[in-house]
Amino acid sequence: MPELGRLALLVALVLALYSIGANLFGATRNRPEFLTSARHALWAMCAMVTIAIIVLWNGLLNSDFSLEYVAAYSSTTLPTAYKITALWGGQQGSLLFWTWLLSIFTSIACFQNRRRNPEIAPYAMVVLAVVAIFFLGMLNFVTRPFDLLAVAPVEGTDLNPLLQNYWMAIHPPSLYTGYVSSTVPFAFGAAALISGRLDDSWIRSTRRWAIFSWFFLTLGNMFGARWAYEVLGWGGYWAWDPVENAAFMPWLVMTAYLHSVMIQERKDMLKVWNLSLIGLAFGLTIFGTFITRSGVISSVHSFTQSGLGPYFLSFLIFVVVSYTGLLIFRSGELRSPAEFESYLSREAAFLFNNLVLVGIAFAVFWGTIFPVLSEAVRGVKITVGPPFFNRVNGPLALGLVFLMGVGPLIAWRRTTPRNLIRSFAAPVSSGVAAGLIAFAYGIRVWYVLAALSLAAFVMGTILVEFRRGVSARRHMVGEAPAVALVNLVAKNNRRYGGYIIHVGVIVAFVGIVGSSFFRTEVKQTVRQGQSFAVGPYQLRYLGLSPLDTPHLEMATADIEVLRDGREVTEMAPAKVFYKRQQQPATKVAIRSTPFADLYVVLAGLDDNGKQATFEVFLTPLVFWLWAGGLLMVMGTVVVMWPNVRERAAIAATLRGAVDREMAGEPVPGGD
Amino acid sequence: MKGHLSAPIAAVLLCVTVAMPCVIAAGVGATERPTLAGVSQGLTCQCGCGLTVANCNHPSCSFSVPVREQIESMIGKGQSGPQIIAFYRHQYGEKVLSAPTTEGFNILAWLMPFAALALGGAFIVYTTNRWRSAPAPDKGQPAPPAKKASPQFDAALRRRLEDEIRERT
Repeated sequence: MPELGRLALLVALVLALYSIGANLFGATRNRPEFLTSARHALWAMCAMVTIAIIVLWNGLLNSDFSLEYVAAYSSTTLPTAYKITALWGGQQGSLLFWTWLLSIFTSIACFQNRRRNPEIAPYAMVVLAVVAIFFLGMLNFVTRPFDLLAVAPVEGTDLNPLLQNYWMAIHPPSLYTGYVSSTVPFAFGAAALISGRLDDSWIRSTRRWAIFSWFFLTLGNMFGARWAYEVLGWGGYWAWDPVENAAFMPWLVMTAYLHSVMIQERKDMLKVWNLSLIGLAFGLTIFGTFITRSGVISSVHSFTQSGLGPYFLSFLIFVVVSYTGLLIFRSGELRSPAEFESYLSREAAFLFNNLVLVGIAFAVFWGTIFPVLSEAVRGVKITVGPPFFNRVNGPLALGLVFLMGVGPLIAWRRTTPRNLIRSFAAPVSSGVAAGLIAFAYGIRVWYVLAALSLAAFVMGTILVEFRRGVSARRHMVGEAPAVALVNLVAKNNRRYGGYIIHVGVIVAFVGIVGSSFFRTEVKQTVRQGQSFAVGPYQLRYLGLSPLDTPHLEMATADIEVLRDGREVTEMAPAKVFYKRQQQPATKVAIRSTPFADLYVVLAGLDDNGKQATFEVFLTPLVFWLWAGGLLMVMGTVVVMWPNVRERAAIAATLRGAVDREMAGEPVPGGD
Repeated sequence: MKGHLSAPIAAVLLCVTVAMPCVIAAGVGATERPTLAGVSQGLTCQCGCGLTVANCNHPSCSFSVPVREQIESMIGKGQSGPQIIAFYRHQYGEKVLSAPTTEGFNILAWLMPFAALALGGAFIVYTTNRWRSAPAPDKGQPAPPAKKASPQFDAALRRRLEDEIRERT
């Protein structure tokens, strides 16, 4: 079987190489049969990588320890679910998984464009194939997933215990999907530059891909945060670790891109900027992979460190230099007649929104690489951790939230001061009221007051937008409010789905602020039967329950949680010892409510479990971070939902234009 | 009207560049009432995990576990946050701090994000002013004559167009 995997990867590489030649020949010599052949080659490449994936999964599920990868990342006692997820638990497997996703997305993009975008699609396929060749080259010649051991061990080393968690089963695939799918809009952007077809057709062709990528980057970041919250045992969810930063930066840039393309679609402006943003988003995904795998910057998430850094760095430089070269080459053709009337316009709000988003991305990038710079310049490797990122990004986040509120209510082109006052009176009032209420409740931290005020302001603007829309439908169509609301969202899903995403961002923002500023931490050693207080709760240690399986040993502390003398729940934090890896780990217990999370860590055991030390965190509002994430996901689904009416209207317009063209009539907007 | 907002915007951008890093960096390590979480967040664990002492997740870490106990004891003795941080910096050097200092080369760490933001803002102001001062497209010119139906626009092409419309929608 391993030979089959090796052969499949080699054939996939040859097919990718062939597709480049066939696509270039077909596109430049106008030979459609070569374009068809190239498409078939890319589909066959996907089939080959799928065979390789099946072979590796087969090895993992059957504990075939003759395979070096399986011996290093699995064991006979590893639960089956984690044998499957071990595919992305190690270097070679995760690269293979990445390549598989890329080959699937390439195949889908090929299929979607088999009869459309004839001027740019072949070049986009060339770019996708070049990226695939890099990864296939790595898998064939540098870090091979099907290498065999001279003597197969009886037992494997096992998967890293930190990865034996269900969030880890879904976090990497989500993040990889987000990373890899950004290659498609990047490839079309590059193809637009190569072919010189620089209108917004590449944006329209890849709009769903960009949203799809953003969706999975959001999910990946959220799942990663949840994994850190449940597994790392320090009561938080985001540590500004380099690998977390690497996942966050493309999300920020992709968010900026999704906003700025609206200006290009509407006003044919910002062509260079949008092409730069999509190039930057893709470059940052490669940069993230470089960080994760190079070991240049130490990280709690770097489970796959290796000597691959120079390869990824070279590829990154190749991407940056060639893409920048293309941008410079086409810069003359990318100029467009720009219309800008006033800073009190939606265009201006979007421009400044882009500035802050990219500014935060730069701050994160700068903080991530500064230790390397410091070492190079001063010979001192310093650490840039949470205090830096929180202090720098905190004020920028406030600015971003403010712009989120301003953007939707301000008109395109210009807004008169009178309209401004009329639109913003209610949201500003709600923001001021929220600040005053928080002040009255005793909150004196300026950042929290500002954050809550701005959150209320943004929610106010979104409510005003929904109210206006519903009101208009009620007057024009005579619908009941609930029906009008549903139809409003269904018929303008892109716009109102976007607002739902904004609501999610604000809800998550409030969760982040609440959980960051008002956390209570208690560390207490108690004997069996004793209690201690954490906020309004009393925690009583009942005793220890041991568990011994072939895979692990676990000591679970049973805790009774009381409030006002009444039991509210039982919690069971544990210490785990993974036998194969000889590695201890903690299993936290969490009781989550909309008001606060009670988070218990079993920090130590003495006297055969008769005495235990607990670290307990009472974290307010953290529930809303996850709720906000869920809302963002729901909003994105609404945005991506196929709008049948809109499509029918576009089809009718296109057909009408064709009919007029055939009849020799002037075509509106035609040149 | 033209450009009347650019001067205040430029002034705001300048203030952002100069004031923000100073205000923000000045707060590094300054905690009013030291807490274990606050102080240990300011120190980097030296076990190699790359996390702060507060966040290190190794249950029996040889650095973060004793340091956390030490910090608790120092807070108990009435030491301030900056004093405790200074103690560890003296013992382990700059690498133990979880944020760059505000001295020498490290100032760049604090300055650059805001400088980049201000530069970006200035670029937006400059570009939008140029757009505003550009002559508006002449709308008085007659529309170009409509194209005649192409003789090549035959039934086959129509079929292909219909296919594309169906696919795109």
